[in-house]
Amino acid sequence: MTDIVAAAPRETWGPSLPRQYALLGMLLIAPSLLVFALVIAFPLVYAVYLSFFSIDTPTLKGEWVGLANYRTMLASGEFWASLGTTIVWTVGTLTVQVIAGVAMALLLDLNFYCRSLARSLILFPYFVSTVVAVLVWRWMFNDVYGILNRALLASGLSDMPLDWLGSMPNAMISIILVGAWKYFPFVVIAVLARLQTIPGELYEAARIDGAGAWSRFWDVTLPQLRGVLLVIVLLRTIWDFKEFDLIYLLTGGGPIAATQTLPLLVYKQAFGMNAMGQASTYAIGIMLTLLTFMILYLYRTREKGEAA
Amino acid sequence: MTRSCSLNRALASFVVWPVVLIVVFPLIWMVLTSVKPQSELFRIPPSFWPQSITFEHYTTLLTETPFLKYLRNSVVLSVSTSIVVVVVAVAGAYSLTRFHYRGRERLAVLVLFTYLLPSVVLVLPLYLAMVKAGIANSLFSLVIAYTSFALPYALWLLRSFMASLPVDLESAALIDGASRLGAFVDIVLPQALPGIISTALFTFILAWNEYFYALILVNTDEARPLTTGVITMLVSSFNIEWSLLMAAAVGMSLPLIIIFIFLQRYLVKGFAGTGVKG
Repeated sequence: MTDIVAAAPRETWGPSLPRQYALLGMLLIAPSLLVFALVIAFPLVYAVYLSFFSIDTPTLKGEWVGLANYRTMLASGEFWASLGTTIVWTVGTLTVQVIAGVAMALLLDLNFYCRSLARSLILFPYFVSTVVAVLVWRWMFNDVYGILNRALLASGLSDMPLDWLGSMPNAMISIILVGAWKYFPFVVIAVLARLQTIPGELYEAARIDGAGAWSRFWDVTLPQLRGVLLVIVLLRTIWDFKEFDLIYLLTGGGPIAATQTLPLLVYKQAFGMNAMGQASTYAIGIMLTLLTFMILYLYRTREKGEAA
Repeated sequence: MTRSCSLNRALASFVVWPVVLIVVFPLIWMVLTSVKPQSELFRIPPSFWPQSITFEHYTTLLTETPFLKYLRNSVVLSVSTSIVVVVVAVAGAYSLTRFHYRGRERLAVLVLFTYLLPSVVLVLPLYLAMVKAGIANSLFSLVIAYTSFALPYALWLLRSFMASLPVDLESAALIDGASRLGAFVDIVLPQALPGIISTALFTFILAWNEYFYALILVNTDEARPLTTGVITMLVSSFNIEWSLLMAAAVGMSLPLIIIFIFLQRYLVKGFAGTGVKG
């Protein structure tokens, strides 16, 4: 960052926008950099610093413990268990999001009545607050009066109300489904926008070649969607992996710790166990895991893209 | 030809609309529950449509709960976050797209990286810093915390908006002797306005819906926004009044509904701008 401030303008921008404006350019970016330094760079460094301390949350008194927190992290079963839970949750909800999202986008791409109304209704779960989503779903999951259990009993599918959030594997399935419901519109919008740019001639040609609906989807649509799906999977993996609100508010990590993903573990360490330093270490662990994933993902997809 | 076309259309409607209605069912259910008398929720067999419509839960919400206080906090919080973030980001994005200096491209990548940074990493140091600075438990501390995710987002969005604007008009104005600032105000701002509005809306929604920072940084009703406030109502109530909570949920979704009805084209624009077009 320092080299931006120190740098003398050396590139020319074209005849009309002279180079002395570089100074003005730096002036305009300065507030952004200041905010970045204050609320992102500083906390990031501070988080690493904290991870070398043992800190009591209520008093905020701490002492240097070196790498002890990291040793605890790698040795504790809780971290690895939470990592496993996080992966199950992320893979589960992401899979449903992508499949439901692509299917919904294909449906919304059809020609039907009140199409634009349907398209905006589908966005609602994505834009509504997680708190609102959780309240509604907890009401629907209610063991006695919730509509899901009432429908289940009335239809005769089950003669016992289902414990949606309080037992396993129900709790995991429930959060995966609510997460998918909340976030699949993101996939829908992105895929729908891409679908509209696929040239109609491609389908025409496939039809002339005698391709059925399924093979038109498989051989024409899906390859065209590859690029946008790669971006979607990257972004949604990162966002689902770090999801806190939805899981915390639906199950609180329970039953026992069966749905305790890593962000919930950080929160519990910091404010339940009052171990702020250890919590910071877990947070750094999350960041490093995501960073590794991102690098591997970009590396792999680029490699494949070049080979293809 | 036309007949088969409209037949296909009707057929497609019969397939698509039920799916759409199933997806939005939870939200319909929320509204229906909020206007049912409490007794109707527990009746056997249950009623789907309310037998009698009541707004008593909304009145209770406004008169007997701290809902209005939370609402005021949320409005102050979301509006101030949006203003701060949009002002800073407009200047920043303009600089990133129209000026050349060393490190500019690296800076853009940095913005994307921070946009993906998990907030769980930043929240503990921010909490400690706020406590030490003596500003914890205030709306001000939340505005500061919210810029950490809203600014990278707004910068990224506005950068792609501004990059898509043609430079010709601006160059022409400069050749005609306009100052850089004059050209910015007269030429760039009007052109970028739709992008700025949609960025402001997205920032507003992000701040309005935020829960995690509010949970950790604020521990008093004086500064609690709707998200954590309504959850407090849920947790602290002795027996949960679901219709009251559904009324609260509808209430806190109202700004979104207004944005959806009147400003939706800006939301779609914003989505296109995040670069997920592929």
